[in-house]
Amino acid sequence: MEFLSHDILIIGGGLAGLRAAIEAKRIGRDVAILSKVHPLRSHSVAAQGGINAALGNAPASVKDTWENHAFDTIKGSDYLADQDAVELMCREGIERVIEMERWGTLFSRTEDGRIAQRPFGGAGFPRAAYAADRTGHNLLHVLYEQATGLQIPVYEEWYALSLIVDDGKCIGILALHFFEGRVILIQAKAVILATGGHGRIYLRSTNAMINTGSGCYLAYQAGVPLEDMEFIQFHPTSLYGTNILITEAARGEGGYLLNAKGERFMERYAPKLMELGPRDIVARGIQTEIDEGRGFEEGYVHLDLRHLGREKILDRLPGIRQIAMDFEGVDPILEPIPIQPAQHYSMGGIPTNLDGETPLPGLIAAGECACVSVHGANRLGGNSLLETLVFGARAGRKAAERVGSERKGMNKTAIQERLRAFQSILEEIFERKRQEPGFVIRDDMKALMTSQVGIFREESTLLAAEDKIKESKKRFLKVGLKQKDLSFNNELIQYWELEGMLHLAEVIVEGALARKESRGSHFRVDYPERDDEHWLRHTLAYKTPEGLRLDYKEVTITSYPPRERTY
Amino acid sequence: MKYSSLTLRIRRFHKERVPQQWTETFQVEIRKGMNLLEALFRIQDEQDGTLAFRYSCRGAVCGSCSMRVNGKDVLACRTHVESLLEKPALIEPLPHFPLIRDLVVDMSTFFNHYLKIEPYLHGKPISPRTEYIMREEERKEIDPYIQCILCGICFGTCPAFEKDPGFLGPAMLAKAYRFLADSRDIRNEEILNDVNNQQGVWGCKTVFNCVNVCPKQVPPTHAIVKMRRRIFSYRASSLVSSFFRHLRS
Repeated sequence: MEFLSHDILIIGGGLAGLRAAIEAKRIGRDVAILSKVHPLRSHSVAAQGGINAALGNAPASVKDTWENHAFDTIKGSDYLADQDAVELMCREGIERVIEMERWGTLFSRTEDGRIAQRPFGGAGFPRAAYAADRTGHNLLHVLYEQATGLQIPVYEEWYALSLIVDDGKCIGILALHFFEGRVILIQAKAVILATGGHGRIYLRSTNAMINTGSGCYLAYQAGVPLEDMEFIQFHPTSLYGTNILITEAARGEGGYLLNAKGERFMERYAPKLMELGPRDIVARGIQTEIDEGRGFEEGYVHLDLRHLGREKILDRLPGIRQIAMDFEGVDPILEPIPIQPAQHYSMGGIPTNLDGETPLPGLIAAGECACVSVHGANRLGGNSLLETLVFGARAGRKAAERVGSERKGMNKTAIQERLRAFQSILEEIFERKRQEPGFVIRDDMKALMTSQVGIFREESTLLAAEDKIKESKKRFLKVGLKQKDLSFNNELIQYWELEGMLHLAEVIVEGALARKESRGSHFRVDYPERDDEHWLRHTLAYKTPEGLRLDYKEVTITSYPPRERTY
Repeated sequence: MKYSSLTLRIRRFHKERVPQQWTETFQVEIRKGMNLLEALFRIQDEQDGTLAFRYSCRGAVCGSCSMRVNGKDVLACRTHVESLLEKPALIEPLPHFPLIRDLVVDMSTFFNHYLKIEPYLHGKPISPRTEYIMREEERKEIDPYIQCILCGICFGTCPAFEKDPGFLGPAMLAKAYRFLADSRDIRNEEILNDVNNQQGVWGCKTVFNCVNVCPKQVPPTHAIVKMRRRIFSYRASSLVSSFFRHLRS
């Protein structure tokens, strides 16, 4: 049995993982990153429009404050966010964004040479700092550069198979070297999950193919609950056909949403903010237009940028122009872009405190896989990048502190047990006669989630979805594999990913069924109102031997009592 | 549509098989708007689960799925199958890198070259908690070079790298220039010294292959030429100043 050891092991090399690694390394800890892809291939790279912070820079100096930012975020969350976490993010975010500039991020600039900011949905000020429309690409490359400067080791193209828990504490993981098929034990005093989202549960998603929610499932399997998983963000504007993201910045810069009759229909849904309403409201607006026959036949509406002019599009939105041309053959300078809503982000995840600590000692989480909760029922655009940096850094710092006081303890029995369990599962899978290939179940699940657990939900379709997922879990037990070794076994990786996705889908469906109200991204046609009396609380889903169990916990309210949410 | 299926001839590699390399033909049913990456996934799902290739974003921003298609180095996700229907398309791994499995190559030379240029901002001193002031014109000068997604395609098509694997390569020289042009970075002479050799800017054959194939329109050759000029003017000015020093002494 191969064996490696680090003070801190971080699973995932996107923004949250890299930022955590940098923080812990600067404190002097022995830290390593493990990622199923090279860090620069992480999904953070695809973020486009911006990162929020109350810098008050732009366009000309305005008086923005972190309190304004906090209020917008809490209102945007439909009052489900934990307000202490939001306040902390908005306060510390300013420093984190400036730090990224100091590390080399090529932000777009105001006339006086400061970081430029643009308007974003649901925000009272132009608050999204941006690098054209490739903000994620810029931030990720800069953080990776910093990590190479600090010589942080990365186990690239390795998979995390399971967490090792001993005496109620996470003491490491079992990992797979994918190319060579070696199973390796990595011991760590702290494990940080920074594995991103799980958009690939849905057929229509803006997410990378790698976003299968493996971190959430690792924690869930180890007995950690998952929080608020029913809150799935549908981005209003994904490119029709491939569902690649078309940034909110396109509307921030002044783009219009038009239905097939050429109407700026957002008038009906957010008369004041129009196209810059928060994402849940804009996505519902678009879907309503399509459902009621005012969209284009194939199921899309138009995002029209033509009036912005060639120069502005080339300067501010070159990335989405290229995407629209490459993938749909449409040049936004000359034609409107066909768009439709698609799964984009998961507000829920592994519950953590303000330092990323989960209910399982030794296990820390940050970024999209975590739920602090700063996004509540609906995330504002520009806040996810911010969350990765603020809570990534905090997670790294907390892990470094913990490590200082922990003794490295290795319990051979716990490790051996874990390994035996893994081997017996593997043998069982390899012995199965292949009755059905996994991809059929996967594709059925994706279609089901998009059609029945999407923007508009109701009891009858959710109950049908519940049955289908149960049935899929049974079918899954009969999936067999052709390839019977560990090296380059794509089938096996996809098998594990599917197992996790089926469980997460179940958690989403059960949470959505139980929550008999409409709040943020979770819209129940049969319960169209928000119900604070019964549902101003977080969902917690536990995996138990008897099946999934739901529980609830209070929302932290500091200075912003829930109010009606209009835009 | 004129065609309903796509024929791909895929170069395979498995180091424990005899022979290690072979070419296999697959037929994939196509749908409107399909790209090559999607076709490869179809093969992996429906025909041969062992087919190995890298993937992530499927939107031409992560740089994972670079490969050679009918002799041209491209991102698979950005390659429409419509352009591959006339005759069987030959799919090969990116050239000049050691093979690992099928279309997956060993990029360690590439990333070692990346490390050689110390690719992180060596920031000038500045008061804490403030950002640097940078003018838009300066940002625009750097901007084309930071679009690089490190996909490796420019290395696949670079005659200098083919001849000498020690050549820093287009992407890395563009990266070096990105720091040179950035007024926030303290290094100037240092960067120019590092690239002032045959494995740096002088190894480039200025055939512009890299500029032509880059999926993100990064112009590495322009960066190389700009650095050559800087080295010349630097040399000239140091010659002049040493001449005057000589006169005075």
